[in-house]
Amino acid sequence: MTHLTSSTADDRRPVPQPDEITRFYWDGAAAGRLLMQKCLSCGKLQFPPDVCCLSCQSEHFGHAEVSGRGSIYSYAVVERPLHAGFVDALPYVIALVELDEQSGLRLVANLLDATPGTRLSCGQPVEVVYEKREGITLPQFRLVEVSR
Amino acid sequence: MTSLARDVAVVGVGYSQLSRAGEPEPLVLLLEAVKGALTDAGLSGTDVDGIFEYKFGPESPGAQDVARVLGVPDLAAFADILPTNPSGLGGVLAGVMAVASGACETALVFRCLTRAAGHTGGVVDGPSTVAGRNQFLTPYGYLGGILVEMALKKRRWMAEYSRAEEDFGHIAVNARRWSALNPRAVLREPVTMDDYLSSRVVVEPLRLLDCDYPINGAVATVITTAERAADLRQPPVLVDAMSYGSGRGADWTFNNDYLYGGTFDCADRLWRRSSVTLENVDVAQVYDGFTSVTMSWIEALGACGRGEFGDWIGDGSRIGPGGDFPMNTAGGQLAEGRLHGVSFLNEAALQLRGQCGDRQVPGARVAVVASGLYPQCGAVVLTSG
Repeated sequence: MTHLTSSTADDRRPVPQPDEITRFYWDGAAAGRLLMQKCLSCGKLQFPPDVCCLSCQSEHFGHAEVSGRGSIYSYAVVERPLHAGFVDALPYVIALVELDEQSGLRLVANLLDATPGTRLSCGQPVEVVYEKREGITLPQFRLVEVSR
Repeated sequence: MTSLARDVAVVGVGYSQLSRAGEPEPLVLLLEAVKGALTDAGLSGTDVDGIFEYKFGPESPGAQDVARVLGVPDLAAFADILPTNPSGLGGVLAGVMAVASGACETALVFRCLTRAAGHTGGVVDGPSTVAGRNQFLTPYGYLGGILVEMALKKRRWMAEYSRAEEDFGHIAVNARRWSALNPRAVLREPVTMDDYLSSRVVVEPLRLLDCDYPINGAVATVITTAERAADLRQPPVLVDAMSYGSGRGADWTFNNDYLYGGTFDCADRLWRRSSVTLENVDVAQVYDGFTSVTMSWIEALGACGRGEFGDWIGDGSRIGPGGDFPMNTAGGQLAEGRLHGVSFLNEAALQLRGQCGDRQVPGARVAVVASGLYPQCGAVVLTSG
C-alpha cells in the first residue's frame, strides 16, 4: 500500500544521501516499493544494504520487493529534543520493525500514525507507508488492524 | 613457548579529581592521573615505554601528548585506539598484549573525559544529509548518540523476557549503595527503587537513572611483567586472562544477537582462557554505561542463564555490600562517574590489593572486569599474586 505523506517546506530533518550501494533502496521507495538486497548465492534478504552478503560473502545481489508487512520488534518514544531538525516532529515514535519475510530482517522507521495515547507493544503488526521529504522518499510504517 | 608470551601484572592505578563542575583542561586532569598511577607503582615517566589510550572525543589527549609531558625517553609501542573498541578497557587490553608479547616492558594506559564529551545526548543540529549506514538511522530521528538505541534495547528486553523496569532499577540502586562508600565518587546520595521509577524519561522507556553520569576526570593504570611487578611498590595483581568479543554481524542495531552483541562470545572466550571460573570470583566490575548493558554482561558471564537476570537479581541485595556477588564496588559509571572501562579495572585491582577501605570486599582474591557493549566487548580476569 502506498500512503504518501509529505513534509512541510521548512522541514529541517536530515535526509539520506544515497550512494552506489543504497541507491536502489531509495529509488524503490520513490516508486512505492520496498526493496531488499537478495543474495543470488544463498538467497538471504539483507538490510541495510552492504557491499556483500553478510552470510556467504557473495557480491551478487538481486533486489527483491518485499510485502512491507512486519511487526514491531522494539520501539522508543522521543519526547525531548535531541536534534534541532526534529523539534517540530516531537513527540515521535521510532521503531525497529521486523519484516515478515525473514526472521531477523529488521529496519528502523517511524510509526507515523502513533499519537500520544496510542497503545503500542512489541509484536504488533505494521505496514509500510511512504513519506516524501526534501526530494527523497522514506519508507515509514503504521499500525495495521489485526483483522486485515 | 616463544618470547611472545610473558605473565603480566597491574602494578599502579591513578585518578584525577572527579568533578561535575567547570571545564578543566583535559591534559591537566590526565597528568594528575598518570602521575598518580606511576607513583602508586613506584615508577616514573622514564620507566614507561608503552602507552595505549582510548581516544573517544577530540579533547582526549593522545599517547604522544602523555609521552611528551612525562619525559618518556622513547615509546617502544603505542596506539590511540578508536571509539569502536571495548570502551576504555581497550587501552588496558592493548597494554596487556604489548607487555605480554615483549613489544614493551611497562605500559601506561589511561582514559580522560570531560563533560564536553559527555554531552552527546544534547540537542545538535545538521548536517542536512546523512551518508553511510547512518542514512538508515538519523533521518528517522535515531539520535542522541546511542540514547535511542538504548531505549530500544530496554524495551526489547522487557518484551522478550516479560520483565518490568525494576530489573534495571536494581542496577541503578546498587551503584549508589557502593558509591556512598567511595569518597572519590561524584554521586553519593542513595537512591531508592521509587526514585528510579520516577526518574525523568530521557527517551521512553530509557530513564535518567539508566544512564551513566558525565563528569570531568581521568584514570590511569600501569601494566608491566609479573617478573618486574615483584620488585615494585604494591602487592602484584596478575592478569589471569583477557578477551575481546564483537559477535557476528558486528553492529549496534542490525546485529545478529540484538540484546547481547558480543558479550557471550567475549565471556566464553575469557573463561576458556582463565585458570579460574566465575565460581571463584570474589568481586565483579561490570560496565554500566546503561543499566541494560550490565544485565547482558551478568548473563553472558554465566551468573545465570540467558534471560534469567530478573530472577537472579532478586531484591538486588546480592550485588550490594555484603552480598554474594559484590558488583561495581566503586559505584560504577552510574555513580562514581563516567570514566569508561579503565575505572573498573582500577577498582578491581584495588579490591585485590585490599585497599578499598569501607567498601573493601573481605579477602577478595579474584576479580572479573567486563567492559564495553554490544559489538565492542572486552573482559579481564585478575588475581592477587
